[in-house]
Amino acid sequence: MFPPRPLFFCLSLLLVVGGLPAPAHAAVKAKGLLRINTTTQTYNVAQPWELNQPQRRRGLGAILEDGNILTTGEMAANSTYIEFESADGAHTVPAEVIAIDYEANLALLAPEKGANREWIDKLGTLGINGPAKIDDKVNIWQLEDNGDAIRTEGTVRSVDLLSTFASGHYFLCYEVKASMQSASSSYTLPVTRDGRLLGILASYNSKDQISDVVAPDILKRFLEDIRDGRHEGFPSLGIATVLTEDPQFRKWLGLGDEQGGLYVSRVLPESGADESGLKKGDVLLTVNGHAIDRRGYYEDPTYGRLVWSHLVRGSGQVGDKLALLIMRDGKEQQLEAVLQRPPDHLIPSHMYDKAPPYLIKGGLVFQELNRPYLEAFGKEWRSRAPLDLLDALNNPEDYEEGRKRLVFLSRVIRTPATIGYDQVNNLIVTEANGQKVTDMKSLAAALTNPKNGLHSIRIDDIPYVIYLDPEASDLVDKALLKRGLPALQRLP
Amino acid sequence: MNKLLLFGSSVALLHPLALAQNPEETGNRNADIYKSVVRIESATQVADYRTPWNSGRFGGGTGSGFMIGPNQFLTNAHVVSNANRVLITRRDSAKKHAARVVHIAHDCDLALLEVEDDAPFEGLHYLNFGDVPALESQVRVIGYPVGGDRISVTRGVVSRIDFRPYAHSRVDSHLVVQIDAAINPGNSGGPVLQDSKVVGVAFQGLRQADNTGYMIPTPVIQRFLRDIGDGRYDKYVDLGITEFALFNPAMRKALQVPENGLGVMVASVLPTGPCDGVMEPGDVLLSIDNNPVDNAGNIEVEGEKVVLHEVVERKFAGDEVKLEFLRRGEKKDVTVTLKAFPHSRIYAVRYGDRPRFVFFAGLVFQPLDFNLYSAYGFDSPRVRKIFQNYVRDAIFKEREDVVVLTRVESDRLTSFITGFNGTVVDEINGTRVKDLRHAHELLYAADQPEFITIKCNGVARPIVIPSTEVESANKRIMQQNGIFRSHYLGDSQPPS
Repeated sequence: MFPPRPLFFCLSLLLVVGGLPAPAHAAVKAKGLLRINTTTQTYNVAQPWELNQPQRRRGLGAILEDGNILTTGEMAANSTYIEFESADGAHTVPAEVIAIDYEANLALLAPEKGANREWIDKLGTLGINGPAKIDDKVNIWQLEDNGDAIRTEGTVRSVDLLSTFASGHYFLCYEVKASMQSASSSYTLPVTRDGRLLGILASYNSKDQISDVVAPDILKRFLEDIRDGRHEGFPSLGIATVLTEDPQFRKWLGLGDEQGGLYVSRVLPESGADESGLKKGDVLLTVNGHAIDRRGYYEDPTYGRLVWSHLVRGSGQVGDKLALLIMRDGKEQQLEAVLQRPPDHLIPSHMYDKAPPYLIKGGLVFQELNRPYLEAFGKEWRSRAPLDLLDALNNPEDYEEGRKRLVFLSRVIRTPATIGYDQVNNLIVTEANGQKVTDMKSLAAALTNPKNGLHSIRIDDIPYVIYLDPEASDLVDKALLKRGLPALQRLP
Repeated sequence: MNKLLLFGSSVALLHPLALAQNPEETGNRNADIYKSVVRIESATQVADYRTPWNSGRFGGGTGSGFMIGPNQFLTNAHVVSNANRVLITRRDSAKKHAARVVHIAHDCDLALLEVEDDAPFEGLHYLNFGDVPALESQVRVIGYPVGGDRISVTRGVVSRIDFRPYAHSRVDSHLVVQIDAAINPGNSGGPVLQDSKVVGVAFQGLRQADNTGYMIPTPVIQRFLRDIGDGRYDKYVDLGITEFALFNPAMRKALQVPENGLGVMVASVLPTGPCDGVMEPGDVLLSIDNNPVDNAGNIEVEGEKVVLHEVVERKFAGDEVKLEFLRRGEKKDVTVTLKAFPHSRIYAVRYGDRPRFVFFAGLVFQPLDFNLYSAYGFDSPRVRKIFQNYVRDAIFKEREDVVVLTRVESDRLTSFITGFNGTVVDEINGTRVKDLRHAHELLYAADQPEFITIKCNGVARPIVIPSTEVESANKRIMQQNGIFRSHYLGDSQPPS
């Protein structure tokens, strides 16, 4: 889904532990709160067989009425170890993840089976509240080192669809104005109203003093989804749209002055939209009876003007039906779409808790392209990352044919088998030993079958073909394993 | 430069050999040499690619030059690039003599000038050319650099002879001699002498290093003079292949190169280039004009390793070159005829060109080239990719110009046309755009549909302009924004 709004950049709430002294607050009794300590480790994008240095973060979780603990997805993503800690530090217990949703930025945790959770059960629980209205007063909770709770009052300023973690996924959030100080356990914070959980604070911009709080509607849908023990994830329709503000464009589309509508600019293959018969060039007029205006907003009965994608992502579950009124060739038409999970992307937008697939042959390192690989080129990655790979990220439809994933030669380790190839890197692989490379598995299969006593790998730039001697590269592979490489490949 | 031919080149140009028969053989004294080194003043007009309808920036500068024959002054191309007026001053006189550019070669940064009235220059000594100076030998640089009005002489030692990029065009590399005498602004175009003979033309320096200057050595100068011998500058020619060093044993085996065998792999062949249809990727080039090519693509000339393209450097359009190569183990001998490859000039800085553009209902269309690219700094990976692959993927076959929508002027008609700036125009009214002239024809065709649609590469929706609005919008926006012409499509010749 590509909601028609600019990306919203927020500072993640990564505050220095034990930073500024907190001002004197009257100690307040906190109900249903505990500390979460996580250790996370990500994979090294340049050497995907290795993990980066572990990082620790502390945050807070909300104890729900069923005894499970809700926090942000960001808190639990890539975790190697999670534990719960009491406010005073007297108790800790290892935790496990029941479900995590990177798109909506939510995670449900529980103490490990069989562990002592008595102390948790004494902390009380929080029922879910909501919805909130603009100008509602809410409380944001933090814990100080001494175990005292800090309560900061904030005001709901606006309701909007925001992407708080996995890029490109927009969900209903409250923007809360509050002036918070740094305290330990600040990575993720529960927000309450009238003593009940209203949302989970996902990010805080200290300059504007605005927090993004995942809305209770999304919390509830997430919990509903996993009630049957299976986490399906939030549904998607599978279209990209363009606003129809331009009067000339509207005339060309045959839209009347009073009509709204979104121009469908792309329909993802095998998506709910695709299967409903929706086509590129259609104009989406209403969704489940809600008229969509020319900027993509509809009138939500609870929140007022909201971006239309909330009707898909935040209001339904996978399998729900969606009634679409469209305009095609100047005529209105009714379609019915079944909500599905978004189809698998050629280039995954995130790799949380996923080990990136790779393959090493004789010193050539192959990977499947994903967005984090490109983001690793630094702040200016949109201009610094290799041009061909960036183009694939921006225009995946031009690379999708015959591919499940985009395999590329990420770098060349200098070995006796790769003499002369030192400078080759970041090139898209098309074929290996005469076989089309559609993903890492197909590359691995092709490389078991050298032709005429040689491996040949076709890439999309100079030198276009790379040859490897099978014996020499096998020897190199053995030597690499001896010198600390854990494995020559990791297939998905 | 087709444009410069318009000035007419009626002067019979001397063959460099003829220059050796200088009647004033006796005049080797310094005073005579100094007299032949002139100061060149040019008034320039540099086009602004961001407002292509405007006149651009007026400015000027000075450089040096020297007499090489009757009414023949040699200088750098960059001294007289974009010049509207060129004046030449003798050392011993304050009078400025109007001059014109007879030939200009941007690819090797040389130009030949003549004065309108050569009477005041009669009797001056014509400087003779020498060879490439030896390493460590001493040379002197004469010219009119900044820091004073009178002639300046500096001495230096030849510290390196190398194949280096020429900064003026940004994309050409030729033989260069590095000397440890500083070459300063104003020195450009002046002679570098050894034993009273010209061994080079001072032309560029290094910004991050002191006391390094570069000069264009005589082989490059002689080539320029020979090229213009027929009254026309035909430019450097190109073999049109890209090589990949053949070091990998498996690659050598795949290409059936014998052990210790010579040769470099041909990685790509420039479409429509001289080797197109003759060589193919995966061929192994063994020799060029009987010079054996090593695995890194070098040949040996006079005891020095140089890149194989050096052979082509000395040749001209229409000349032949003998190639010996290996294809699937089989030796082949071919002779190819060299030619210039105009499409690769998309990457070269352009001088003296008036920017081409089309204005249409608040939208400005311009053809992509280096000047446009550097003026706008396009950041869309799509535009960057099309620019980068224009030659490699023979994009020029389908679209001679890559037409870019560079500007959307503010107007009530265009206020919602956002996100289109800096994108490549693929189609107008469903027809693929071949070049700027074609875009102009399509946009201003006599019988337009009700809506003119413009499809841009990588943008989700087309631009739609109702054809009835075009005339009034053009009038209104052009008047508001001071755009006094709707297009400039260039001369009728093909781009050079």
